[in-house]
Amino acid sequence: MKLNKYFERSLWVFHLNTGSCNGCDIEIVAGLTPRYDLERFGIKLVGSPKHADVLLVTGPVTSKMLDRVKRVYEQTPDPKAVIVVGACGTSGGVFYNSYNISGSVDKVIPVDVYVPGCPPRPEAIINGVLQAWIKLEKLRESMKVARVK
Amino acid sequence: MNKESYSIPIGPVHPSLKEPMTFNFEIYGERIEKVNLAPGDNHRGIEFMGRQRNPIQIIYLAERICGICSASHPFAFCRAVENAAGIEVPERAQYIRVIIAELERIHSHILWAGVAAHELGFDSVLYLSWRAREKVLDLLEDLTGNRINYGIFMIGGVRRDISEEQIPRIRETLEYYKDIYGKIEDIFLNDPTIALRTKNVGVLTKEDALRLCAVGPTTRASGINKDIRQDQPYSAYADLEVKAITPDVLTGEVNGDVYDRIIVRLLELVQSIQIIEQCLDNMPSGEIVVEKKLVKLLNQLKKAKGEGIGRHEAPRGEVIHYVKLNESELPEVWKARAPTYNNLMTWVPMLIGQQIADIPIVIASIDPCIACMDRVTILNKANGQKDTLTKKDLHELSVQKTRRIAP
Amino acid sequence: MEYIKPGKIIELFEEKFDGSVINSKIEIKTAGLKKNSYNVIWLQINPEDLKNIVKFLCSITPFPHFAMISGNDIGENIELIYHFSIYYGERFKETSISLVMHLSKKNLKILTITDLIPGAQTAEREIKEMFGVIVEGLPDLANIFLPKDFPKGVYPLRKDEKGAAKMVNKEEEVKKVE
Repeated sequence: MKLNKYFERSLWVFHLNTGSCNGCDIEIVAGLTPRYDLERFGIKLVGSPKHADVLLVTGPVTSKMLDRVKRVYEQTPDPKAVIVVGACGTSGGVFYNSYNISGSVDKVIPVDVYVPGCPPRPEAIINGVLQAWIKLEKLRESMKVARVK
Repeated sequence: MNKESYSIPIGPVHPSLKEPMTFNFEIYGERIEKVNLAPGDNHRGIEFMGRQRNPIQIIYLAERICGICSASHPFAFCRAVENAAGIEVPERAQYIRVIIAELERIHSHILWAGVAAHELGFDSVLYLSWRAREKVLDLLEDLTGNRINYGIFMIGGVRRDISEEQIPRIRETLEYYKDIYGKIEDIFLNDPTIALRTKNVGVLTKEDALRLCAVGPTTRASGINKDIRQDQPYSAYADLEVKAITPDVLTGEVNGDVYDRIIVRLLELVQSIQIIEQCLDNMPSGEIVVEKKLVKLLNQLKKAKGEGIGRHEAPRGEVIHYVKLNESELPEVWKARAPTYNNLMTWVPMLIGQQIADIPIVIASIDPCIACMDRVTILNKANGQKDTLTKKDLHELSVQKTRRIAP
Repeated sequence: MEYIKPGKIIELFEEKFDGSVINSKIEIKTAGLKKNSYNVIWLQINPEDLKNIVKFLCSITPFPHFAMISGNDIGENIELIYHFSIYYGERFKETSISLVMHLSKKNLKILTITDLIPGAQTAEREIKEMFGVIVEGLPDLANIFLPKDFPKGVYPLRKDEKGAAKMVNKEEEVKKVE
């Protein structure tokens, strides 16, 4: 049964930590556990970017992680969406003026959804995933139309 | 090196630590022969950034060293600045600080229990324990305004008071944890499968723990009586009788294995509840901060000269900060050290001789926040062939072992 | 192990290492409503004697707890502080001991203490990377915190021209509106 026109299939999410303080990371896990329970929609964390529809990125990009972020992005199959969770991934947050930080995530890979907050509440993260979902379904729709033509 | 031994690098993504890790294991068959550690992927240069900020700005930076220990680092940092500048903290603030720190310990230990269960393949325990954890997060949100990164610490006190209406809410939460503690204890200490997977696994002998200067529950599980709350009491801990918990309290013996680390953390949960209750009973009234006006406080710190050490027993062990003030707006030195920094080396004696399937639980056992291994590559030296094990595969191996040995 | 009072510890050090202890002070800190107290000892010593002093510390108490090494760039010298604590296990008995040393930048060398306290390895590797201090006797291992391709000769926590100030990425900085 379709819940609505966007609810075609559930999302698999790969979580990538690029130098975060772990505050966002535990809120993401909290979003999956019974109080907020994203898993009831079939949304789950997967162990490899090759299985994922969505990249959930937390933290400012450190120089050691710079190359790995790009590689993980390239390994994720299309169509894909990137969500940045937290203030430091969005803009650098408190982490600025350092020799080992390359800055926010959107300088390295294209980002679709920003979830601000330090850390954002699980509800905000769920809303972010929903936005990415809508975007992905629209993308799939347009790809289908293109194929028919 | 033996022809049949091969090496496994694990990492580098290892969230939550200040320094996420890359591991390199040399394996003979299923047995681990050598462990190499290479942290540094998460190195953000926090101490360098701290040089360009004034002490009040650093509190917020210190909070973000680790999102789970977000009361521990500001606590230690504020103590270091207070020691350096000679500021006396009002008694009521000392009690509020201890209450927040102990609530954090409850949340951190339950989080750890869930992660440990997950590594063993008990996902239902992960979900149930994280659900139980939400209760204390609600309370922390009520007291401080935030679920994580509380922002309640200030040099010379705390930023928010605990009001009369909030005290019954704290007591109610504590009652909730007293109720469910029996269940948690029953799952972890009486379940035969958990005992099989954790007893005599990842043993850290007393001598190794002493030589490697391990801290926190890791060292106490090896039978060492070391807890800053007991040895060098600070804040309200000085008025309370806190005793370091070693596993022989419950079982009468010390093995230093993963099972003992579970015992220590569970008993500390009860201890934290008692500490908060004592704090609530004896909380004095009065001011909560020495200087309410931040500009005035900054001016005072600008004139201060001296150096100080701030130590705090975080859920994972000793956090120590060193601050030197030298009559300027910015502190001359700020050095922070997290507990996992000292516990890092204890992985080596723990892991040698263990099986690959035991890696997740042994690594999780010192509580490096979340033991999340990103990717494992097995490089077969004989033919140079490369196989990649994801975190999921490694987890799968661990789950399979549980199924295999379960009675 | 017998408990020795902080004043006596300093006397013991001064007796044993004549002329090496440059400065010493004891701080007494109080906490809580009951105002119980504990001691913090600061000792400024000669860097050459570090190893013998740590050896002596190990003879006072079998396993002194090593906490960390903090460093500071003070112009001509690098100041290193080795933070220890001893007599843990009993209430208010634990005493912090901090050994302060000044190393000349022309001769940044210090002996390793990892053979006495293996737990100091991480900290010694850190000062090697952050301040460029050569730790003699420490196996030459890979970088512990900095990336592999980090420029040679840059030591991030130095305040002179060898520091990392020029590497800072200032793009995030908000420009002030006139």
